[in-house]
Amino acid sequence: MSVHEREDRALRLQRVAELLAEAVTPQEVLDAVLTEGVRAAEARAGAIGVLSDDGESIELLAQQGYTGPIMDEWHRFPLDAGLPMSQVVRTGEPIFISTVIERNELFPELSQRGQEGSALAVLPLAVEGRVFGAMALSFGDEVEFGLERREMKVALARQASQALARSRLYAQEHTLRQRMTFLAEASELLSSSLDYNLTLKQLTQLAVPGLADWCAIDMAGEHGEIVRLAVAHEDPEKVRWAYELQERYPPKPDDRFGVPQVLRSGEPEFLPEIPDEIIEEAIGDDEELRLIVDQLGLRSMICVPLSARGRTLGALTLIAAETHPTYTQADFELALELAGRAAVAVDNARLYGEAEKGANAAQALAHIADGVVLLDKEGVVRHWNPAAAAITGVDEARALGKPVDEVVSAWGALTSHVPLAKPGASGVRPVTVPLVLDGRELWVAVSGVDFGEGTVYALQDVTDERALEKTRSDFVATASHELRTPLAAVYGAVRTLRREDVELSDEYRMTFLEMIESEALRLSHIVDQILLAGQLDADAVELSLSECNPAEIAAGVIESASVHLPEGISLSLSADGASSIMCDENKLRQVLVNLLDNAIKYSPDGGKVGIRLEQTGGTCQIEVADEGLGIPHSEREKIFEKFYRLDPQQTKGVGGSGLGLYICRELVERMDGRLSVESEPGVGSRFTVALPARR
Amino acid sequence: MDDERSIRLLCRVNLRASGMEVLEADDGHAGLELARREQPDLILLDVMMPGLDGWSVARELAADESTKDIPVIFITARADPADRRQGEQLGGVGYVVKPFDPVGIGQLVEDVLTRLARGERDQLRRGIATEHEQ
Repeated sequence: MSVHEREDRALRLQRVAELLAEAVTPQEVLDAVLTEGVRAAEARAGAIGVLSDDGESIELLAQQGYTGPIMDEWHRFPLDAGLPMSQVVRTGEPIFISTVIERNELFPELSQRGQEGSALAVLPLAVEGRVFGAMALSFGDEVEFGLERREMKVALARQASQALARSRLYAQEHTLRQRMTFLAEASELLSSSLDYNLTLKQLTQLAVPGLADWCAIDMAGEHGEIVRLAVAHEDPEKVRWAYELQERYPPKPDDRFGVPQVLRSGEPEFLPEIPDEIIEEAIGDDEELRLIVDQLGLRSMICVPLSARGRTLGALTLIAAETHPTYTQADFELALELAGRAAVAVDNARLYGEAEKGANAAQALAHIADGVVLLDKEGVVRHWNPAAAAITGVDEARALGKPVDEVVSAWGALTSHVPLAKPGASGVRPVTVPLVLDGRELWVAVSGVDFGEGTVYALQDVTDERALEKTRSDFVATASHELRTPLAAVYGAVRTLRREDVELSDEYRMTFLEMIESEALRLSHIVDQILLAGQLDADAVELSLSECNPAEIAAGVIESASVHLPEGISLSLSADGASSIMCDENKLRQVLVNLLDNAIKYSPDGGKVGIRLEQTGGTCQIEVADEGLGIPHSEREKIFEKFYRLDPQQTKGVGGSGLGLYICRELVERMDGRLSVESEPGVGSRFTVALPARR
Repeated sequence: MDDERSIRLLCRVNLRASGMEVLEADDGHAGLELARREQPDLILLDVMMPGLDGWSVARELAADESTKDIPVIFITARADPADRRQGEQLGGVGYVVKPFDPVGIGQLVEDVLTRLARGERDQLRRGIATEHEQ
């Protein structure tokens, strides 16, 4: 070898070294080695393979100068194969083969490969004594590998080794940094909102294209169905297509691979290279689907469960297809880490949602007016809201966790007549039952729902409503009694008058006709009074207040009464110094007519009956006094009650509904006044209407 | 016995038309006194009366040896089943709810007296609580 040749070779090596120094990524290193390196070695073609992660096979990373589909054919082959590269990686020793005969002897597997590249140099790629791959250089025909040639090739391989190792380390670091960054971004995203539907969607978008060509998240539905939450691909058009595809070919929960399997088992699935049989099984006979799958070019898949607290909530799927390299163990671990974080986020969001719902429900129950009691299957109190505490008189602390019969001894009596409804049943009517608690008499409306894991009761204290209802029904009953007597008189008189078997005297006939007239009037009056009392009860009486002169009203009432005045009664009016008042003129007149009627009626032996007006301070007092029978002490307040009659015997003719004084007091009070009575039996009575005077 | 003048009048006219002698009282006390003194064959008794009400009158009639056998027919505006039971418990042999047909009152009294004569007092009493309003 001439000096010139040596210099030339050194220069070429120098040139390769410079290029390699500039190369940063593994691809750049491979490019430099396979172009300048191959040229420097005077080889016709070159290829570089590295040991796989699992150390069991060799992956061909790149080639230059070979013809035919070498990358497809040899892209991965076993470490123990009878091939030159396998042997070099196994032994760490270079191989130099000069002829095709030699090659075929050493590597019978290659004997069918023809003459191409028959002279061969295969050199180990190693750093710090550790072999991580091999570089193959093929030459034209026979080549004599002299010492210098060999040294040159070994030097080239050494340079390539260092550059490649450095670049791979760099790439690894870069990938690691990327992953860390990705995980950090993903974590931030997941913790940014409690709306996990949204964050998981964003997560899939974050994963493409850095981590996958396709990224999908599916959730396990409540009834075992698979709910696709999100699919991401760099190309939005493809995302739409993926959704269409999902709709046309929905995953079946019992599928043996992929999401259904992961959701079922809770175990991850990692297919660095998706085996053909899985794809075939998925496609079946569907030619259209085959076309689609071919187009997708699925290569590598990771499907990991989103699991939290022992439950599989969903699955995260990463797919390498058209651009992403096949997945490695590191990718799988990253996916597991990512899924773990996503699952925690989903679980937290759901827990928060449930807790919030629970808190809202508790708040609602704390403020609802109905008592709500929750019992478990054993009848132990699990919830006891403040209203339940108020109704039963037992506070929550004394009730929770105890058998309900111990909490309220009358519980059995309270609920034994309450039919238990099923959840969601409509028309659940509460049953109203009496209850005696610590001497208190209550009426409680109770309804109950059996929801399988226990019973929930709603209690309503209807004691007041019940009392009101009783008052109303008493009113109706009493009102009907009041109507029956005059009705009996009218009906009886007519029936008697129409008797043909008895000859009635003219005097009797006249008496019966008068009876019909007066009792009919009495009926009409009672009906009016009942109506008015009902309106007063319902607070439906409208007053029209205006400025009136009470003296004029009193004078009018006296004048009307004087028309049919019974014998022995003398009327008087004293209205000195009375000024105007604000009142409903008609209502005040009604009150005075009633009081004056009573005064006359209860003076069967005659006497003075008078109205006297007097103004004291801001009050106008209207007194109606008589010298009649008077009212016993014990009866003085009762006479203002509905249907109370002091002495019905005296109530002849019109009136006597038992409502008159009740109505008077109610009307006066509605005009901001007071109605009171002073009386002495046998001496007389004085009713006083006190109304605010107008200033 | 009734505080309502019109009801007393209706009963008087129609009972006399059936050939009966009628005595009247307008309250419980007067009625009791009248019953003890005159020993009537039957009493028509109002319930809601001032002072001594009909229930009390029935109780006193039953408690008094001289009046305990005088049959009582209640004539009242009270139509509740509870009132009918009260009438039965107090030994009434009839229960007439107002408004009633006074033309038939004479026949009613005759029927009751006939059945009493046949010893059907208990059946008449039990009939009070189950009888429908007329």
